[in-house]
Amino acid sequence: MNSRKIHALVTLALGMATIMPGNAQVQFGPITGDAENGKKLYYEQGCYGCHGYQGIGRKNLANDVSGIMFSEEVFLIYLRARADLNPMLPSQDMPHYPESSLSDEQAKDIYAYIRTFKDTPPPVDEIPSLQTILDDVANEKGEGSK
Amino acid sequence: MQKTPKDTKPKLSRREFLGTGAAAGAASLLPAGQVSSAAESTAAERPVLAAPSAAQMARETGAARPPAKIDRIVHKPVSDLMVQVLRDLQIEFVASNPGSSFEGLQESIINYGETPNVMPEFISALHEESAVDMAHGYARCEGKPICALIQGTIGLQHAAMAIYQAFCGQAPVIILVGRDDKHFLQAHTADDVAAIVRPYTKWDAHPKTPAETLSAIQEAYRQSVTPPCGPVVVVLDSEIQKEDAGTLAVPEFVPPAIAGISQRQAESIAASLLKARNPRLHVGRLRTPEGIKLAVRLAEEVGASVDTRATSGPMSFPQRHPLAGPGDNDDYDFELGLERPATHVSIVGPGLRTLDDRDITGVNLGVVRTPRTAQHKPAGQNDIVADAEASLSLLIDAVHRQRTASNAQVVRSRTQRYANANHEARVALVEEAVEAARAGWEASPISLARIYAELWPLIRELDWCLASPSIFSGRHHVNLWNHDKPYSYLGSHPASALGYGLGASAGAALAARDRNRIVLNIQGDGDFNYTPGAMWTAAHHKLPMLTIMHNNRAWHMELMYLQYTAGVRGRGTDRAHIGTTFRDPYIDYAKLAAGYGVQGEGPISDPELLGPALARGVAAVQNGEPYLIDVLTQPR
Ligand SMILES: Cc1ncc(C[n+]2csc(CCOP(=O)(O)OP(=O)(O)O)c2C)c(N)n1
Repeated sequence: MNSRKIHALVTLALGMATIMPGNAQVQFGPITGDAENGKKLYYEQGCYGCHGYQGIGRKNLANDVSGIMFSEEVFLIYLRARADLNPMLPSQDMPHYPESSLSDEQAKDIYAYIRTFKDTPPPVDEIPSLQTILDDVANEKGEGSK
Repeated sequence: MQKTPKDTKPKLSRREFLGTGAAAGAASLLPAGQVSSAAESTAAERPVLAAPSAAQMARETGAARPPAKIDRIVHKPVSDLMVQVLRDLQIEFVASNPGSSFEGLQESIINYGETPNVMPEFISALHEESAVDMAHGYARCEGKPICALIQGTIGLQHAAMAIYQAFCGQAPVIILVGRDDKHFLQAHTADDVAAIVRPYTKWDAHPKTPAETLSAIQEAYRQSVTPPCGPVVVVLDSEIQKEDAGTLAVPEFVPPAIAGISQRQAESIAASLLKARNPRLHVGRLRTPEGIKLAVRLAEEVGASVDTRATSGPMSFPQRHPLAGPGDNDDYDFELGLERPATHVSIVGPGLRTLDDRDITGVNLGVVRTPRTAQHKPAGQNDIVADAEASLSLLIDAVHRQRTASNAQVVRSRTQRYANANHEARVALVEEAVEAARAGWEASPISLARIYAELWPLIRELDWCLASPSIFSGRHHVNLWNHDKPYSYLGSHPASALGYGLGASAGAALAARDRNRIVLNIQGDGDFNYTPGAMWTAAHHKLPMLTIMHNNRAWHMELMYLQYTAGVRGRGTDRAHIGTTFRDPYIDYAKLAAGYGVQGEGPISDPELLGPALARGVAAVQNGEPYLIDVLTQPR
């Protein structure tokens, strides 16, 4: 597959991200990897760096919000898609993972682990500090600068 | 390779050398101030410094004795007058790491006058970089300088990066540099000491007489606070500090005259603001808190919506003022920039420029050559190169002159409309930020948003200053907190140079200490470790500085960069932690704090324990004690 085709596919996958969150109709693909091994790899490869230790970070992955998680195939295409992006400037983008550095099997293990991430924070009204923040802005009306 | 004569001698450590007769022999061979003839004869080699004289050796080894017969008693050292000059200028602090080239001045600071060591107070810094960062942090809060007092060539080299950072941030900072050319180590002096930082200072002087010295300090003040503001250097010869002042008196201080726009320009802008259907102000970073008050008045007098930079840095328009926000529609027909670019007219003070004529104002720097204050290149036809703050009174007066019953009515009605719209816009932004902060709320390690969120209820009623750059910790304060003071947020490291947060926070805490204010320092672990000694300064001087470690056990940004590069090269990211992480061993920041005499706790990774720890921290700093909480965080 040439890089154009890969990019087209990745764009498609990412496009899905925008329609997927909260859309119960979208069916995610099956999981074949070993989440336990994926957990180890997730840490070793430093995925937590951007995606957090539980999938909440610069780029959230928890709760199936990311298009790249649509299926193992899409995930693999995404990992393998970035070789021609040779940066001259430092980049904090997603690194490229050719098969030589991460096998399909390992990638599927990581995929399986990421799919376990569920973030279920309490509602705002059960978090006093967040509620205070909301109340403060709601009550500010007409107050002006202090 | 040719060898210098030094290479052929048996190796002795410097102390051993000084303690033996070898030194005396060497000293007689190489009189102070002279370069060895061997060095002269082999021009390609580095010059060999002169060996210390017998007197220098005696002093270095602690064997110096006062002269038996005192033939000169100094009743009024010139350094007393230097302190008086600083006192008159209301310089609150001199942050310093001690050095014999300014012991005269240091002695005057701590002993001169009826209330010695007050205005200025001598602040002990453990590193010259911290001393300058403190002055930088203070300047960002108060819009005026304090001094850093630095030892000759060597201290100045330690200070250099912080001076560079202050230069990039156009911060008024006065750097006093001691110079002892006659009596001490040759390596500590130079003909032109300031040369090593001249490329990134606005102005420097090396006065040659007591009278010149006093005037030079006053001029340094003027230069530092006159736009473009920036760090300035005065080199103080130790002999002058110690000389008797005789009849010399402190010269009268003439404050700087900072130019604003012309009367004609003020009338025309005022007319445009009042005539506009939908006027807008863009307020950038003004110079002093006074400027903000004037900007608020102008906005209120003309009923303009305001775009503020209060969440990006100090000295801007209060974030939740009713007029701050987009207004009720974005079809602005007259936009005025105050230290900000704007569509119709912008009033922007001159920027500091490099020798090759690049403007360094708020841009990414390349290599900086010798800077000079030069003309700001206007971005558009109607840009005016003038200090916005100095222009505001003129604008307000012009608005008053043009006030009519009908335009006053228009101003009142649009003010109300804008206030309503801005309020709605703000609520929407805060709701979005709260929702984002909720994600990962119960995560361990702790989410950065949670740190900011949990701090808010504890500080909302207090006078606080967020002194640390927040760019690496997610900038969650932007919408979760209300930035209503000139110093609510002091902004990023202007040169993106690390090792700044702790020193700058200590400087902000110096400003805060006697003003019933507290300082919050959400502190990257990488940034912390350059100059952790500022913790001791905070303990020693009882600074109200709450340090909350954003401890991701990494130079995390560099880890991400390295991961990307390794990935692109197809070599995997599993070794990217090498040289980018703090593992094996982990650093224990609470213990470090304790070692420096700062109360601390942690590491905390259970989010349930965070709130109570923050409450203890805020209580401690309110009580005038620095405090550190080591929080194990999500990386970003
Ligand atoms: C003086 C200096 N040295 C090195 C760098 C390169 N650098 C940029 S970010 C960074 C890591 C910052 O670490 P930390 O403060 O812990 O923040 P984190 O990225 O981990 O959030 C480094 C070393 C720099 N900007 N300044």
